[in-house]
Amino acid sequence: MKFRILVGALAISLCLGGTAQADEFADEELARWMDQFEQVAAEGRRLWTSPELGTNGVACAQCHPNGANTHPETYPKFQKQLGRVIEIWEMINWCLRNPLEGEPLAADDPKMVAIQAYLAKERSGVPLNPGQH
Amino acid sequence: MKRREFVKLGSTSLIAGCLPVSVVNLAFGGTHDDFSFAYISDSHIQHIKGNKFVRNWDQGLIRAVAETNLLEPKPDFVMFGGDLAQLATKPELDHGAEMLSALNYDVKMVMGEHDYYLDLGEYWSELFGPQYYSFDHKGVHFVVLNSILTFDDWTYDRWESGERRMSEMAGLDNPNGSPFMVGEKQRKWLAKDLKKVSSKTPVVVFSHSPIQKIYKGWNFWTDDADELQALLQPFDKVNVIYGHVHQIQYNQLGNIAFNSVMATAWPWPYPQSYAQAASHLPVLTVPMNRADPFDERDATGWQFMNMHSGRADLSFNLYSNQNRKVAFDHEQGHPVDASYQADDARIAPQKHY
Amino acid sequence: MKFRLFLFMAGAFMTLPALAGDLGLPPLSIPADNPQSEAKIALGDKLFNDARFSTTGEVSCATCHDPAKGMTDSPLVTSLGINGLTGTRNAPTVLNSAFNKTQFWDGRSPSLEDQAQHPFLNPVEMGLPSHDPILEIVNSDEDYKSAFKAVFGVVAGEVTMDHVTRAIASFERTEIGGNSPWDRWYFGGEEDAISDGAKRGFQLFLAQGRCISCHAIEQDHALFTDHLFHNIGVGINNIQPQVADLAKAFLVAKAAGLDVDVAVLSDPNVSHLGRFVVDEQLSSLGAFKTPTLRNIALTAPYMHDGSIATLREVVVHYNNGGVTKEGDSVNSFLSGGIRPLNLTDQQIDDLVAFMEALNSAGQKPQQAMITRDNGTARTAMADRAPSAARGESE
Repeated sequence: MKFRILVGALAISLCLGGTAQADEFADEELARWMDQFEQVAAEGRRLWTSPELGTNGVACAQCHPNGANTHPETYPKFQKQLGRVIEIWEMINWCLRNPLEGEPLAADDPKMVAIQAYLAKERSGVPLNPGQH
Repeated sequence: MKRREFVKLGSTSLIAGCLPVSVVNLAFGGTHDDFSFAYISDSHIQHIKGNKFVRNWDQGLIRAVAETNLLEPKPDFVMFGGDLAQLATKPELDHGAEMLSALNYDVKMVMGEHDYYLDLGEYWSELFGPQYYSFDHKGVHFVVLNSILTFDDWTYDRWESGERRMSEMAGLDNPNGSPFMVGEKQRKWLAKDLKKVSSKTPVVVFSHSPIQKIYKGWNFWTDDADELQALLQPFDKVNVIYGHVHQIQYNQLGNIAFNSVMATAWPWPYPQSYAQAASHLPVLTVPMNRADPFDERDATGWQFMNMHSGRADLSFNLYSNQNRKVAFDHEQGHPVDASYQADDARIAPQKHY
Repeated sequence: MKFRLFLFMAGAFMTLPALAGDLGLPPLSIPADNPQSEAKIALGDKLFNDARFSTTGEVSCATCHDPAKGMTDSPLVTSLGINGLTGTRNAPTVLNSAFNKTQFWDGRSPSLEDQAQHPFLNPVEMGLPSHDPILEIVNSDEDYKSAFKAVFGVVAGEVTMDHVTRAIASFERTEIGGNSPWDRWYFGGEEDAISDGAKRGFQLFLAQGRCISCHAIEQDHALFTDHLFHNIGVGINNIQPQVADLAKAFLVAKAAGLDVDVAVLSDPNVSHLGRFVVDEQLSSLGAFKTPTLRNIALTAPYMHDGSIATLREVVVHYNNGGVTKEGDSVNSFLSGGIRPLNLTDQQIDDLVAFMEALNSAGQKPQQAMITRDNGTARTAMADRAPSAARGESE
């Protein structure tokens, strides 16, 4: 009897504990993580305008100022140039290979992530429309 | 082939074949001739190194030149609308000039920012002559403006080298850029030049930037557009033809019809496709078709203009898309797309882009 | 009954469900005014093979579209008509032509039905002065009379070229086949269906080779054509300096009533103008229809003029950036998508290996041994249920 009450009291005291649990973020953490995103997106912008991704000096921004006409909100979609439904990173690789005459990047290459971050940022607020041409 | 002969053959003749559309036969009432000229623009020849240039841009210009040479009847002259080069380097301008030299006609040049900002047009002028000028042809007064100038401090004081200055201006969406303008010196020159032109004489202005304020973020912009439009206001029939935007745009502001030309190098998105800023695309414009953006010759080409009754009709000869014609409609008093102007005549690639 | 109802309800163009033999093919469209039936197909087969429809009595459709040779006349460079006359063009395969949006290298025919009437009248093909000799035969020959009556309900004396071409087209619509080793690997998931070289070749097809730009495939089927017309630097390279004059001369002649079908097969310079002779657009100069790659290993030599002998040389032509001999200059009207590819020898071999994996099930060189009588034309359909392509008897 006594033991059970003790366990109950202990349990109650644990429930009333004041420290942050695993699923609560502090405002400073949110700000820090958004800042980290912005850094990656800024790197994406730098890559977007630089000739370093290809071998012929052409930069993505030459045809896509501010990432316009990349339509990240329409992916995944059927892409005629690859003959199947794909995500945008595969299309970015198509551009790296073809107009930029360069080498493709792996999906998780930091540069590829940065480019996608930049494109998504320039497209913020636009509703998703997957499959759309 | 004699003019009489082709008229006899009718609309499926040589004319319909070598030209995208048939020659317009409007009567001029004896004061002006019908004539035509071709317009090639924005080739952006880009040097890689040594003897290598970006192949895609080279091929676009080569094809425009080859096709223009096939025109029948022959155009009176060919305009090149600016941005022959990408970074205004000597190899680029030389290579571009070499490709243009294959044209079988008299070629007149318009300055573009990608030709200018390395050395402020010094080598370009060596090759091609004055950066702004006017000429008369068959009763029409033509003016060529250098409309890609900008503020003095950006031009002279801001950058440590011509190369740096050129590369900053080369980025369309570069926040370090500076708005285009014609500037006071040229406006004074233009006012004087136009004094000797009667208000009944049709006037055609060739410019690289739009002489309108469309979207500042991408320098689809001429800062002194209002002043220039005011200078052109006294004339009955004015046509402004501009390059730079790499897309079909057209507009009518009072007495002035505005028409953009296509690039041979690559197409640009319409400003409305940039979600984070507002823009003002001329409302009349039916967007160009772009069903397959991955085709290397998508939404590129050259154009051909018929002058009739002092108005310019533009026929776009596009390599991989339906040819387009934007003609001045006398009843409506502004340019109209021959196929797609009505809302329900639009096709899928126009609705998207 | 239910199947017939389904066919009628499908609207102006019916599509038929895909079956195993069609792995990799899209559903086939049958025009509403020319439904399939066993009897019509058999009639079309007979017409296709009837050499009486030529001035010498020696040339039929099958002469140049031989089932034993991938429905072409491989290895002929250009086809041989009556009296051994040659034209300017290499015979395209009838296999899977039912999926083409236009017929002929320059797409001058909008349908199989339309296409069938032309070779009879061409001076270097069957050479007939008009269709009358054909109509005379089909309206008097006992077998034809009863066949046309059974299929179209038309009495002898009233059979027209429209009936004839519809029957031929109907037969041609059975000349389809998928289920190649590549299909079994790509769509069917059979890991060992093709060699490693062919798998590498397919990756090159998609990426460095850029082939998929025009030889298009889709998520669940592959025709290997975009149905469009492209100048890839064959033929036109030979006439570059004269293009302006040739184009002008052609247009003048066409406006004056020139027969395009006759002109393209008799004058190589006109032939090399390609699609331009049909739509008169500058952007079509020297452009030809993207053919399917299915069964391509069976149909050498290649290109509209048969000027490239082997698949390997075709790949080399593309690798050179649109010239057959490396270092030649490209023509000014070259399609934008053609550029040097920087492929190694191994990569070129791999691409060839991939293309060799595209023969439809049942299409093998051994087919040459099978005779006419046991229906060679339908061996591609060996594993297909009889009712599908054939519809129900009228």
